[in-house]
Amino acid sequence: MDWKELQSASFLECTARRRALALVDEGTFTELAGPRDRMTSPHLPELGEAVSFDDGVVTGVGLVGERPVFVISQEGRFIGGAVGEVHGAKMAGVFKLALRAYDEACRRHPDEPERYRPAIVISFETGGVRLHEANAGLLAHAEIMDLMQDTKGKLPVVAVIGSKVGCFGGMGFVAAATDAVVMSPQGRLGLTGPEVIEQEMGKDEFDASDKSLISRTTGGKHKYIMQDCNVLCDDRVSAFRDALCALLAMPYEELVKYRRIGSYALVKEQMGLTALAAALNPFDAKDVWQYFGNGEADALPELGTEEFLAVARRREREV
Amino acid sequence: MVGSAALFGRTVTVIANDAQAVNPRFPVVYFGVIGMEEAYKMACAVYESIEADKDKSVGEKRPLVLIVDTPGNAPGKVEEIFGMNKATGAYQLALAEARKRGHAVVAAVIGRAISGAFLCHGLQADHILALPKQYGTIIHVMPLSSISRITKMDIERLEELSVKSPVFASGVDFFYRLGGVEEIVPSPAGLREAVARHIEEIDARKRAGDDTHTGPWGRGLLGAERGGRVTRPAVMALMEEEFDAVAARYLK
Repeated sequence: MDWKELQSASFLECTARRRALALVDEGTFTELAGPRDRMTSPHLPELGEAVSFDDGVVTGVGLVGERPVFVISQEGRFIGGAVGEVHGAKMAGVFKLALRAYDEACRRHPDEPERYRPAIVISFETGGVRLHEANAGLLAHAEIMDLMQDTKGKLPVVAVIGSKVGCFGGMGFVAAATDAVVMSPQGRLGLTGPEVIEQEMGKDEFDASDKSLISRTTGGKHKYIMQDCNVLCDDRVSAFRDALCALLAMPYEELVKYRRIGSYALVKEQMGLTALAAALNPFDAKDVWQYFGNGEADALPELGTEEFLAVARRREREV
Repeated sequence: MVGSAALFGRTVTVIANDAQAVNPRFPVVYFGVIGMEEAYKMACAVYESIEADKDKSVGEKRPLVLIVDTPGNAPGKVEEIFGMNKATGAYQLALAEARKRGHAVVAAVIGRAISGAFLCHGLQADHILALPKQYGTIIHVMPLSSISRITKMDIERLEELSVKSPVFASGVDFFYRLGGVEEIVPSPAGLREAVARHIEEIDARKRAGDDTHTGPWGRGLLGAERGGRVTRPAVMALMEEEFDAVAARYLK
């Protein structure tokens, strides 16, 4: 499939490489540490497990207009997109290159920061730490959060979430720490995945076989109502790309207002929300939708994206 | 528990998760679990410390001491509805900001340091100290029995491999080899002195403008030095080399 054909494809069905290729401008994507380099996990063979030549993540750089866009795209088909030493190093490598590109852009174009400002886009599809190399995966997560803080005030980081595995575990807070989050209704975002909640706390707390419960709790529509997803779009590659381009076209100072965390004021806002969680003690996400003014909460999961966006009432932000 | 204390006369912020407490408002939060309220409260202590010392110079700012004994982040439905991922993320960003603004951040693992809870409460520190395992310290993502169930790998084989593999098995020593812990402090009696010594060392580095040998990045270097994570730097060097070859196309 070429770039043009990819644009009308389902984002949910796309491999990581196709997503990476299609999110940036046509013909501009260059993969870095790609499969030909065979940067594979040194740890999986010791456990008798198969490796992947890209270690489950596509990393590279493309252009959106004149702006270099550094891309991380995770592949759920390989060990659920989980992060080990190489996968994590590739992610960190992208952040390092983007930060370097920012310094270079400041040097070359001190008067035109917006036009040439680099960006990072992360297409998440992961459950977080790869258990086969769990300790290295954990340390990689810390490194990525550290680098995320380095981007603040310099360049935007955009999360796109609409792939089969969703975005869970440690990568759930990496996504939360980005500047803007784009999801489709099919996207899933959280910290503790449904199976883990069920395993830890029992089926009464969370029935992981209940697909609509998972969707209501972690899906794009719910996260949009909560303001944890900034842009909700259809499950189509071009819809994600359009959302990304629109975000990057915003002045940086405007875009960063989409952040949910990362300052004292934002943390205070979230503490207010946590107090509401305690007071409301909802049995289901629908209770929260109703609280935020969605009287017809039962109807929301069934609506198409456009209809949903027209009627959904969102939590009002204080910051 | 958060607050101010004096360590050998110097004011420090202490953030210690309470391993005995039960949160009556959130039933999945007990015995050291870090939930939404806890993580945001910890983040507030960090931002208050930054605010209080904003006019002080690097090296003068109050250190933050994290005392770590936590089994995990809160795994509940209400937590997922309201976004527990933001809470643990918020605390990490706050600590990273404090570190980059010149506060020395030292974590001391005195009990359990597990998975996402260790990521938020510990792994963003400049330096991490841990007591040896005879004091009950545990550092890991999950026990082997859970790894076996999820990865469908044979538990006996995992147990056999875990004796020598630092990369997935539980253990303070293994974490040390991966560069995940700067120092193993032999006994609780030596902890106060060790924390103060590390604060001094970190302050000296910060005053000298060296930000590569502390925090997660510094532990990456340690991981290579100690032979536990040697592929990581090779991957990043390769990416840099490949980008340099095409940079002209992207950096206008």
